[in-house]
Amino acid sequence: MRAFLDMGGYAAYVWPSYALTLTVMVLNIVWARRLLKRSRKEALRRLAIGGTEV
Amino acid sequence: MAWTWFHRLASPPHVYRVAGRLTPWLAWPAALLIVGGLIGGLVLAPPDYQQGDGFRIIYVHAPSAWMSLMVYTTMAVAAAIGLIWRMKVAHAVAASCAPIGASFTFAALVTGSLWGAPMWGTYWQWDPRLTSELILLFLYLGYMGLRSAFDEVQRADRVSAVLAVVGVVNVPIIHYSVVWWNSLHQAPSVMRLGEPTMPPSMLVPLLMMLLGFTLFFGALLLVRLRGEVLSRERSASWIREALHP
Amino acid sequence: MSESGTVGTTLRAAFATAGAPGESSVPALAAARLVLARDLKLAFRKRSQLVQPLAFFAIVTTLFPLGVSPELPVLRPMAAGVVWAAALLSSLLALEMLFRDDAQDGTLEQYALSGRSLTWLLAAKTAAHWLLTGVPLALMAPLAGLALGAPGSAVPGIIVSVAVGTVALSLIGSIGAALTLGIRRSGALLSLLTLPLDIPVLIFGARATELAISGEAYGVPVQLLAALAVLGLTLAPLAAAAAVRINLE
Repeated sequence: MRAFLDMGGYAAYVWPSYALTLTVMVLNIVWARRLLKRSRKEALRRLAIGGTEV
Repeated sequence: MAWTWFHRLASPPHVYRVAGRLTPWLAWPAALLIVGGLIGGLVLAPPDYQQGDGFRIIYVHAPSAWMSLMVYTTMAVAAAIGLIWRMKVAHAVAASCAPIGASFTFAALVTGSLWGAPMWGTYWQWDPRLTSELILLFLYLGYMGLRSAFDEVQRADRVSAVLAVVGVVNVPIIHYSVVWWNSLHQAPSVMRLGEPTMPPSMLVPLLMMLLGFTLFFGALLLVRLRGEVLSRERSASWIREALHP
Repeated sequence: MSESGTVGTTLRAAFATAGAPGESSVPALAAARLVLARDLKLAFRKRSQLVQPLAFFAIVTTLFPLGVSPELPVLRPMAAGVVWAAALLSSLLALEMLFRDDAQDGTLEQYALSGRSLTWLLAAKTAAHWLLTGVPLALMAPLAGLALGAPGSAVPGIIVSVAVGTVALSLIGSIGAALTLGIRRSGALLSLLTLPLDIPVLIFGARATELAISGEAYGVPVQLLAALAVLGLTLAPLAAAAAVRINLE
């Protein structure tokens, strides 16, 4: 297990790389879902204001 | 008719619905492939005879670099379609691509820099591939900056579409000139492994990660696309049905 | 449009069509030539504006010895790069002049509505821009080179490489200028859009200049520069015209 974490001495380079990439992936998921939620909220708000032309 | 599927793709309500239903079909396989690739790459693959365990960064660097280019191309193709056929949905696809591509370009730069650091002794080298990735990041930032400079979404879509098409023509030119520049000065290039060909135990996880990241992009794109399509829509009739099922 | 004077009235007469846009009493090339002449004439009325990019070039070049070292042996290896970086930045500065006045007074709209090929007219404006900024830069660049330690024998090579390179720079710049037409304070955005696309020109141009300075044959990079210029000539005015039309809608 320790050998795995140590990555043959390259741990300081390997693990931050994986951590960063994972962070980028998670952030992308968060941003995408946030965009969709915001757009839905905005569309509903425009609907509530009324009219067929928003 | 052969073209009906194309015309349906132009319909925002259709796209909104289909994108929503399609997303899990991309997201779950992506997750499986990525987890499988991680296990294969971090645990099962043997260490490289030259770089030891340090080479394992390739399993996140290569997919990120692949994403940065693939997403840019997708963005440019979508932009061109939006310009030629005046399709709002195509412009929405292009808009959705940019932040995804830019963030993975950044990831490719940092992981590439970390990959080379132990071999170079410094955190940065003007390696041709890293330099090209850096310029690609500038292209993404320029695209996003141009978009945000316009208040009106339609104009933002069309002006940035011209930029995307111009940019994609330039990407191979920029890359070739950077490789040429680098070869003049024989700077060290690290991004290769010790063996001339990769054994399957190393290659298979890499392919899994590449495919997994691609499907992940597809799922992300679908989610963002729904948001972008909604924000471009004026007529309320289909929105009412879509949001109050 | 009162500044245009005789050139303006000639243009207006030439562009006036009897009926629907599509009819042209003057072919595209002749109209382009008129636009070129107009731009040159108008530019020479504000000579101080022409000098500014050149003064900027001189100042930027001066920054490097001040920031690095006054010793010529230290400066000579980087002379080509410094000259080109300064040329790129000066050419960016000069891009402000390309479309702004015409966009503001409605001339650009007239060009778009005239029924003539907007692509040709913008190509003519870009040609004028190169004559007004690229050529003077090409003539000033050897002075900067000499000041940074280049030998006198390098002068022809420096002029040739900068002259050809600035053609591509003007063309690439016209795209960015067209894209950012309506945007206020677009300077930083224009740079962000244009400079990455300029990088191949920088690489080949600096290489050509470097070879000229060390006395070697510089033909190959200059040919590559010329290839970029030709590519730019065929594609850039098209892209700029598309961008202008979108921004004028």
